[in-house]
Amino acid sequence: MERRDLLRATGAAAALSFFGAPRDALAIWSRVARGGAILGGLSEQQLALIGAVADTILPRTDTPSATDVGVPAFIDVVVSENDSDEDRAAFVAGLDLIEARAKATAGSAFAQLAPSARASVIESIEAAQDRRAEPARTYWRLKGLIVHGYFTSEPVMKEVLKVEVMPGRFEGSAPMPVRPSTPSGAHGHA
Amino acid sequence: MHKQTTFDAIVVGSGISGGWAAKELTEHGLKTLVLEAGGPVDPNVDYVEHVQPWAMHFRGFGDRKALERDYPVQRGCYACDEVGHKFFVNDNENPYTNPADAPFKWFRGRQLGGRSITWGRQVYRWSDLDFEANAKDGNGNDWPIRYKDIAPWYSHVERFIGITGAREGLSQLPDGEFLPAMQMTAVEKVAREKILKAFGGERVMTIGRAAILTQNHNGRLACHYCGPCERGCITHSYFTSLGSTLPAAKKTGNLTVRPNSVVAEVLYDAKLGRASGVRVIDANTMESREYTARIVFLCASTIESVRLLLNSKSARFPDGLANGSGTLGKYVMDHHYGSGASGTVPGFTDKRTIGRRPNGIYIARFRNVKAAHPDFLRGYGMQGGSGRNGWGRGGSMPGYGAAFKDSLINDLGPWSLSASGWGETLPNEKNAVTLDPTVTDKWGIPAARIEVRWRDNERAMDRDMMTAMAEMLEAVGCTNVRTHRSNNPPGHCIHEMGGARMSKTQTEGVLNRWNQAWDVKNLFITDGACMASCACQNPSITYMALTARAVSNAVELMKRREL
Repeated sequence: MERRDLLRATGAAAALSFFGAPRDALAIWSRVARGGAILGGLSEQQLALIGAVADTILPRTDTPSATDVGVPAFIDVVVSENDSDEDRAAFVAGLDLIEARAKATAGSAFAQLAPSARASVIESIEAAQDRRAEPARTYWRLKGLIVHGYFTSEPVMKEVLKVEVMPGRFEGSAPMPVRPSTPSGAHGHA
Repeated sequence: MHKQTTFDAIVVGSGISGGWAAKELTEHGLKTLVLEAGGPVDPNVDYVEHVQPWAMHFRGFGDRKALERDYPVQRGCYACDEVGHKFFVNDNENPYTNPADAPFKWFRGRQLGGRSITWGRQVYRWSDLDFEANAKDGNGNDWPIRYKDIAPWYSHVERFIGITGAREGLSQLPDGEFLPAMQMTAVEKVAREKILKAFGGERVMTIGRAAILTQNHNGRLACHYCGPCERGCITHSYFTSLGSTLPAAKKTGNLTVRPNSVVAEVLYDAKLGRASGVRVIDANTMESREYTARIVFLCASTIESVRLLLNSKSARFPDGLANGSGTLGKYVMDHHYGSGASGTVPGFTDKRTIGRRPNGIYIARFRNVKAAHPDFLRGYGMQGGSGRNGWGRGGSMPGYGAAFKDSLINDLGPWSLSASGWGETLPNEKNAVTLDPTVTDKWGIPAARIEVRWRDNERAMDRDMMTAMAEMLEAVGCTNVRTHRSNNPPGHCIHEMGGARMSKTQTEGVLNRWNQAWDVKNLFITDGACMASCACQNPSITYMALTARAVSNAVELMKRREL
């Protein structure tokens, strides 16, 4: 990690402690600041698969991609540290089934596929009516984690959603902001 | 350091009721000791409402393993999360028991400020429909007071704490001393009108009434709409004892606060027939000490106050202090809540909300107000709200790629509208709190054994909440209307009440019309334990009003040398 990143991270940690951030968050920040791994349970291959699925769902446009904001690391934290053994085993097994689907329908590991092939694998999984049957079950859990991890990340909350921590007002029927004419990934939303 | 052990008044508990007792007693000039079982809270350090999800290790999902280990019960409350669990008790240190077939959730906060830090902040006055209910249908005992007795005290506390709401002129839900109302959403405004029209004006959807400041008030700042009130509020914009009543009490110079003081017993002087004080166990050192006072106020929370009395045994009161009537611990209630309906509201896609409103909408009770309902007695109010899900819908929404991402960022999705009922539970002798014969807490105090069950009247009302809300959503023009049935056990609503009820006569309750123990004249209970019925309104404002009223009377009695 670059020195300026370290300073930024520890500076943020100091700001957090001012607001009474939980020790867990401070610990993770300082681990990140030291350049240490926060990753625990998931293998490199599993993280590569997660990253590839995440960036297919939320690719880089004029806003960051899922991997740009560390979504795989967040998912590793949840699966490795928060899941029960049973949930983690089911998730890891489900990842294998997603990978197997990629190999069966497109001939190689998901992360090695071209964008169009990744898209068709995702479409085939999303097409399943029963979301509780594998690999859809794990896929939808993964998608939920990807979306949550992305939109709760610091860069996205600050730069993309521009979340105001203290809005100072409540308006119940405000107009929607005027959308720029660019077709996707536009700036200037609420 | 703290050598003084004798006071004019002792208040057990520093939460919503205890803070009010402390304020009123000290302002009347009484040297008052407030005992809090938990530790001190420093808002500058301990309040965590502005911690953003990215600063939390699990992004708000919570540390499941730690919560399962130390907070297996408490984690059932929405506010006991990744950062908010500090305002809940450790279940391993604070056990309670219940029969296997009578699940009960007891959500507790032991810290200075008690559960006033995490409370839901909704405040609704009772009316005579509520105070007369027991007398009219014969369940429970007649309340010794009516609305006129408490109305000026509602005003007294509302003016001090500041509450937001809209005047509606409803007899069953009296208006209070309101600060400006928060805005309804575009959808809620239309829903209100359509529901009024569809049900002949009988069902009134109003903006929630809440102890949250919409303008600066009594030295506290207006709400800044950050959202998660249950994690604290650095500007004290919602009412807590910590940010409002306790500072007022401190200002008098008459207040002594002792945190980490677990009250084990109220001491009884058989010769004088009075409570002489309390026995306290230091939460950290386990040392025992006694404090004495002329009067004692129990504001420890419904079940804690009952437990404390049950544990205060003497030759005169072998079954618990002030239990001459035999009703102590009985007629415990909670609101049965959570059944209702939700739907999608077509249109309004050019509208959004700005800011996070810590409040919702309220549909005033409409059952058994005029016509009798065939299926159940009493009634319910409904609480809910509307909104657009934004990116939150993305985890279950099909799609991928730039367009999918753009949609989550720029389109907020459809509006949804939902509400659920908060229902009155009939007082029942069999719904009771006793002491567990074997289980004790970390301080060796017998644990509460809680046996409370929902019965037919509650179940029938739950079904009606679903039907009635679905009807209302259809009247609004919602699509995709879906009902939901709650299976929350008793206690889950955190509106536990009763156990030391007020009564007209000494034989049928623990407290008289002034919250004064019939059998022990210098003992007062002004938390939820005093309630003889539970109505359907969120109860805290009523505890506050009863507390201020009880103090006023106690002070009069002291002046007349009757105490």
